Amino acid sequence: MATKTLSANKLRSGLTMLGIIIGNASVIAMIGIGEGAQKYVNGQLQSLGPNVLFIVPGNRDARQLGDIDIPRNLVVADAEAIASQVPSVAAVAAEKTTQGIISYRNRNTSSSIVGTTEGFLTVRSFEVGQGRFLNDLDQKSSSLVAVMGSTLADRLFEGQNPIGQQIRAKGITFEIVGVLEKKGSNLGLDYDDAVMVPITTLASRIVGRTSPYGVDVSFVSVSANSQAAMETAEFQITNLLRLRHGVTDSGDDFYIQSQDTLLNIADTVTGALTLMLAAIASISLFVGGIGIMNIMLVSVRERTQEIGLRKAIGATQKDILSQFLIEAVILSAIGGIVGTAIGVGGIFVIAAFSPFEAGVSASAIIIAVGVSGTIGLFFGVVPARQAARLDPIVALRSA
Amino acid sequence: MSPLIQFKKVSKLYGSGNTEVRALWDVDMSIESGEYCSIMGPSGSGKSTAMNMIGCLDQPTSGEYLFDGQDVAQLPENSLANIRNRKIGFVFQQFHLLNHLTALENVEQPMMYAGVSSRQRRERAAEALEQVGLGNRINNRPNQLSGGQQQRVAIARAIVNKPLLILADEPTGALDTQTTQDVIDIFSELNKSGITVVMVTHEPEVARLTNRVVWFRDGEVLNHHLDPSELASVTAVPAG
Repeated sequence: MATKTLSANKLRSGLTMLGIIIGNASVIAMIGIGEGAQKYVNGQLQSLGPNVLFIVPGNRDARQLGDIDIPRNLVVADAEAIASQVPSVAAVAAEKTTQGIISYRNRNTSSSIVGTTEGFLTVRSFEVGQGRFLNDLDQKSSSLVAVMGSTLADRLFEGQNPIGQQIRAKGITFEIVGVLEKKGSNLGLDYDDAVMVPITTLASRIVGRTSPYGVDVSFVSVSANSQAAMETAEFQITNLLRLRHGVTDSGDDFYIQSQDTLLNIADTVTGALTLMLAAIASISLFVGGIGIMNIMLVSVRERTQEIGLRKAIGATQKDILSQFLIEAVILSAIGGIVGTAIGVGGIFVIAAFSPFEAGVSASAIIIAVGVSGTIGLFFGVVPARQAARLDPIVALRSA
Repeated sequence: MSPLIQFKKVSKLYGSGNTEVRALWDVDMSIESGEYCSIMGPSGSGKSTAMNMIGCLDQPTSGEYLFDGQDVAQLPENSLANIRNRKIGFVFQQFHLLNHLTALENVEQPMMYAGVSSRQRRERAAEALEQVGLGNRINNRPNQLSGGQQQRVAIARAIVNKPLLILADEPTGALDTQTTQDVIDIFSELNKSGITVVMVTHEPEVARLTNRVVWFRDGEVLNHHLDPSELASVTAVPAG
């Protein structure tokens, strides 16, 4: 019965559904995008390698407050001390990065120059494609050798063997001793498109200054012996560095982030993002619901005679109420399903043009369709009650 | 046997205080089962109010209304709907057919509220349409039917739940002379089969075909048993 009246007013039913369709499609798409972003960020963080801890200079709270005056007291010697004195640690890498022009013969490109140590390979789980990686000897002698990421090597050497070739990085000539296997970009830092040099060389020859404490670093990354050893490692490193830095009650001048804490932070951020997107999208769902209420109210007015007649031939208030409620629910449920289909399609389109993967969660669909059904019910109540309460005599007389 | 319709001191008032309108005042009236009668009177005489009351669409402000022996004056809305559904068939001047439904589906409507199974609905609706001579038009929509045919669909809808009473409000008001005759003939036949027919009309030619005229004026019954042949004498009374 309800479907008959709805199909008798196809245009109106369609327009009414449009609000719900748009609302639903945006909720589904927004949640999908949010979840896609979350998966993307999580994937990036996980590709940092398991069991990795980052030690960053500066007080944690001060950094979070936006303190830009970060002390330069986390040094290569700290990294070496961790490597030699902390038993729960498998490998340690110190890193300091700068940007600069890299040139080979007449080809120039701008890229990251990463000063690092031998442990980098293990901590960041890279494989050497050709040649060798930087070693301790390079470090101690601040030698002018470099290892290239594969993307940069391809760009600069265009298929030639880079091993043994000379490049210039910020005016300093380096000899290429190795090329890394391709790994993919990671949180915006793409080591495939970078050149790695001994951190001591970077400090003395390129950055050109060292801190009074020694060769300062951007951060030290550490891989613990195992997942289980992470907490131990964090505790031992903290103690060691406090001792080395003479930290008193005033607070640490460094802090340690694990992949877990990064994941947590990222989850919080992307979760908030998803929630915000969903909240914005729900507004359109809400507006769609109001659209249904409007059209149903108009429909009640237009169909006053029908309602009067139905009452005369024996429809109770309950019959009329349920007729209009069913119509509203059908409208919004169909709108919900169509909207979901469009939303899912939208997610795949977005996924095709962005690094996010298409993430359609069943829960989002169930929630969206459920919510739109409920909205139909909720916003259908007012018009349906109005219809049910019509006086049949008045309704029949209305022209 | 008690009458099918019995008004005992029925009054219907609208508004209050200075603006109080007495649509019906202290009306005593009865219509026996099996009667074929018309209700007449100038506009504002209370005949429409009386009709709504008879049809259980409205309830009196005071007094008793016994329909089929049951006092409906105090019944709740649901019971009234139930009585309208099973015991009364309505026929209106404007037919009130649902335009998006076929003749058959229109006739099925009252049975949907009576909880009749869909197969039985279709059978009985087709039967009722056959009875009013529209057996060959069951799948037409109202806009594909003439006025007279539409009114016959409405009559089929009125009789499909086998009511005790057919209540017709100006059933021929929108019809021409020929179709008026057809529709009235159907009413006569239905009456012969035992159904009580009460018709509100202001066409003397139509009222003349019934057996009895109840004449309303100023909210009261002026004449309970006017012989239709005497109608000429009262139609001289200026209609308001």
